Amino acid sequence: MTKLLAQFHNYLKLVFCYSVVNLKSQMEYRGAFLSQVLSMLFNNCVWVLFWTIFYSKYAVLKGWSIKDVVTLWAVACAGFGIAHAFCGNALHLPVLIMRGQLDAWLLYPRRLLPHLLLGKMSAPSIGDAIFGFSTYFVLICPDLTHAILFVGLSIAVAFAYIGFSIFTGSLAFFIGNAEILAEQLRGSLITFSTFPPSLFEGWFKIVLFTVIPAAYVSYLPVDALHNMSAISALETLAGSAAVLLVGVSMFAFGLRRYESGNLMEMRG
Amino acid sequence: MYISKVEVALRKYCWIGLLSAKSNLAYWPEVVSRLLFLVVILYIFLRLWQMTYAHLGASELGGMTIAQMLWYLTITEAIAMSGPRGSQLVDEDVRTGAIAVQLLKPFSYPLYRLSTNIVERVVRFAINLLCGAIVSLSFVGPLTIDWFILPLSGLTILLAFVIDFLAQFCIGLGAFWLEDTSGLLLIYSRLTMILGGLLMPIELFPEILQRIAHALPFWTVYGVAKILVKGQLLPALYLVAAQIFTICSLMLVATLIYSFAMRRVASHGG
Repeated sequence: MTKLLAQFHNYLKLVFCYSVVNLKSQMEYRGAFLSQVLSMLFNNCVWVLFWTIFYSKYAVLKGWSIKDVVTLWAVACAGFGIAHAFCGNALHLPVLIMRGQLDAWLLYPRRLLPHLLLGKMSAPSIGDAIFGFSTYFVLICPDLTHAILFVGLSIAVAFAYIGFSIFTGSLAFFIGNAEILAEQLRGSLITFSTFPPSLFEGWFKIVLFTVIPAAYVSYLPVDALHNMSAISALETLAGSAAVLLVGVSMFAFGLRRYESGNLMEMRG
Repeated sequence: MYISKVEVALRKYCWIGLLSAKSNLAYWPEVVSRLLFLVVILYIFLRLWQMTYAHLGASELGGMTIAQMLWYLTITEAIAMSGPRGSQLVDEDVRTGAIAVQLLKPFSYPLYRLSTNIVERVVRFAINLLCGAIVSLSFVGPLTIDWFILPLSGLTILLAFVIDFLAQFCIGLGAFWLEDTSGLLLIYSRLTMILGGLLMPIELFPEILQRIAHALPFWTVYGVAKILVKGQLLPALYLVAAQIFTICSLMLVATLIYSFAMRRVASHGG
């Protein structure tokens, strides 16, 4: 137990160090960094504004309110932002695998996957995270309990996003050029997670709990926050853990098929 | 002699465009995954509008039935998802210095980008529209089209592609001055998406947003969808006029930006 805690503490330090280094490297090009963050903020604001206008005009939410739609966007953006701000390489996994660029990471005295994921920070994701948190705290004005629950659920959602990115990225071990496929699958997850669940019925809801785990990324967290439901919160945690486990397993299974390339590269 | 030079130039750029389209089609998994995403989007919007129409008990919204609405979205999504990475390619050319090599070649760089962009886009659009049409047919049945509107619609679609290319070309050339143009591109694509009527017809917006949307040129990119669905000749002619005006304005802007950008190109030997 002590050893486990020590390892966990060690990895937290690694996360912190990589985050500082990645942020410093992003800040070397401040103009680019700021433009990416601000444009993502603009993007998310436009979407929320559009859907607020739409759902105000056409009340088709079936038990949901505009507040829930804003919460849905906040939780999805906050989770996505946290996931890819810290684990930016999850978005580039198919390319890294395809080009044989795992070689450099395999040589480090660290577990491959977490180390690899931490190697990059996605600047637009910082905009997502800022948007998610500021939207929830400014527009919803939660009390302390809701605020703590929101933060906890955002972290759980982040793990779900990381797990799904690992899963889709690991397809490259099997089909080669999976970059576009991974991008489209991620796009599908984001798309489904930003629409209310009342739109989807019957067999399609099963898809949203399995193949495209949008339920764990938005519907269950919103339900947990709306109803202060411990069950929905636990389902979110369990679902996110399951998605992460599936992703990690897929990566581990695919890594056995990985062959080193002749690519020479330097990492600073 | 003059006509022959024009013919030679046209053939040159047509061949460049066709080669680009062929190489793009070689990556068929990319084509398939894009079509899958199109199906996902159309399904979501079908459900959204089915619920909206059912909730309101309306047979028409903004003058369109549910079938026309889905066909409208099929056309707009086919246009949106056909766009090649115009701005990113120009941005890459500038950042990597490849533009200096392109400038040595016996063709105009803007026309080269235009021809590759348009031909590639026409091919992608045709594939997207075919797939989207199959989805819409199975969900809501066929669309009644006034056949006389088809040639005009074809023209407006081409003009829409040119407008989008010119805007993205200007954004891509921003790489000469800006550290990163992806932010600008994202803002442009969102404005076009919302104010262009990609997700729903502009006529369904609140009054004030409708006026803003019609005052800006973004609606000229997706305006063809309403024309095709409703089969209206006068609005179609108005759209063509608006598109030509937008193209002329954007060409002026693009020419100015390009001339300033070319002064910043420096080639070194070795």
